[in-house]
Amino acid sequence: MPLNNTQAHDKILTIILAGGQGERLYPLTKDRAKPAVPFGGIYRIIDFTLSNCLNSGLRKIVVLTQYKSFSLDKHLRLGWNIFNNELNEYIEQIPPQQRISDQWYQGTADAVYQNIYTLEKEQPEMVLILSGDHIYKMDYRNMARFHLENKADLTIACMEVPVNEGKRYGVIKTDEENRIVGFHEKPSEPIPSPNNPEVTLVSMGIYLFNTTTLVKAIIDDAKQDTNHDFGKNIIPEMIHSKRVYAYPFADGTNNNLNYWRDIGTLDAYWEANMDLVQESPEFNLYDKDWPIRTHQEQNPPAKTTFKKTLPEERTDMILNSIVSGGCIISGAKVEGCILSPDVRVDTNSEIYDSIIMESVRIGENVKIRKAIIDKSVNIPDYMSIGYSREKDSKHFTVTDSGITVVRKEMHLV
Amino acid sequence: MTTILLVEDDKNQRLLYEQELRHEGYEVVTASNGKEALEEVQEKLPDIVIMDINMPKMDGIEAMGRILGKNKEIPVIINTAYSNYKDSFMSWAADAYIVKTSDLSELKEKIKEVLAKKNKNS
Repeated sequence: MPLNNTQAHDKILTIILAGGQGERLYPLTKDRAKPAVPFGGIYRIIDFTLSNCLNSGLRKIVVLTQYKSFSLDKHLRLGWNIFNNELNEYIEQIPPQQRISDQWYQGTADAVYQNIYTLEKEQPEMVLILSGDHIYKMDYRNMARFHLENKADLTIACMEVPVNEGKRYGVIKTDEENRIVGFHEKPSEPIPSPNNPEVTLVSMGIYLFNTTTLVKAIIDDAKQDTNHDFGKNIIPEMIHSKRVYAYPFADGTNNNLNYWRDIGTLDAYWEANMDLVQESPEFNLYDKDWPIRTHQEQNPPAKTTFKKTLPEERTDMILNSIVSGGCIISGAKVEGCILSPDVRVDTNSEIYDSIIMESVRIGENVKIRKAIIDKSVNIPDYMSIGYSREKDSKHFTVTDSGITVVRKEMHLV
Repeated sequence: MTTILLVEDDKNQRLLYEQELRHEGYEVVTASNGKEALEEVQEKLPDIVIMDINMPKMDGIEAMGRILGKNKEIPVIINTAYSNYKDSFMSWAADAYIVKTSDLSELKEKIKEVLAKKNKNS
């Protein structure tokens, strides 16, 4: 049995790191922190991690923010102001206090170090450190049970990925008892798993520390010239002297699934969104056992209208798509798309495999393919996006794999 | 010569420590609170800091954290009348924690120890 809710809540303080610049998600991060980037129509990226906390009974959460935190703050205030302070439940958004240092956070470990007074005030038994930019479902109580059973000082959630993808992550080597005996951050040649040469075991950046171990480690690290990073410095150092275990990731609702996505790049962002519109998606938003919470404004229901235009009649065709509230699609074709609230798609337009964010207006006879259109953009009649790399590159961001990104409120004539 | 920055708000204790440490052959610079200590650290770049905790203007734990942020090579020994500050996580950043007594031999010992460790590492 996992820890029950009261135990999990009493023993664990959750820290969500939400302070990265998110440069590789530019221009989506032009005006907002990465965890606040819209995802899946009505959500923000951080909603998935926060929903995991909520569904795991963890209700003492601090979110460490840093850059461009306005829209993240607003989202947390409007959507996540649901905890009861009188029961010692809270979600606190903490910008850099500059209490110890007058600098910005130098790395993930430095971010926690600079908030050492928060740990001191709360004195939890364990500290769970999470990223604000991952999409997955996970019951952290199972990880906590594993941590306690192994009498671990630190437990790292991990999963197997194809060997060549290991370069992007911290690659883990374990013994038969899941104890970590090797850890290499972003190695050029990841070591394959002993059981399967096609895959390698990687860290998901989910750390459960005993509080005293964490505090000692981040203080030691602060006194040295390092990158002040958990993956680069703290963990490789710690595996030699402490009990560090690898917890094999299991999906929160389906043990046979291993769905976890790090939204590090525009391509990864687009692909993870597209995962949602598959016929039976691995990541299921409609699972009542694992509700995903967000904030959304009141919107009227989505609507489609039949347009009678000469010489032919156009009916709407909407296939494999997510259509949020407040959208109106009038005689257009939408296939494999995610439409955020309050989008309009007008007659004869065709949109394929695209993410269309809130309040985007798409005129008549527009063609869009493999694109991300950020909020409040008006796409004029007869424009096409995603059909000519050369043309698109003049005005928009186009990724190596050919996803075109139109930035927020961009003025198109 | 090895320079010690002695941070202590009580004047009599400050004089006592200063004399005793001079006698040991150290150059001693003093400050009477955490704020002054930060200025002295910048100006004199001492080899080691002896830090009281309970002081006006800025306490010793906060001052130590700030010294660590800018001059992490300078070791800090906490020298306080209270043992309960050991519960403060930030106090763990000190290179040694001494509870004040009338006998200064423990402090002198620790100073030697911490300096030896510092020289070994550098």
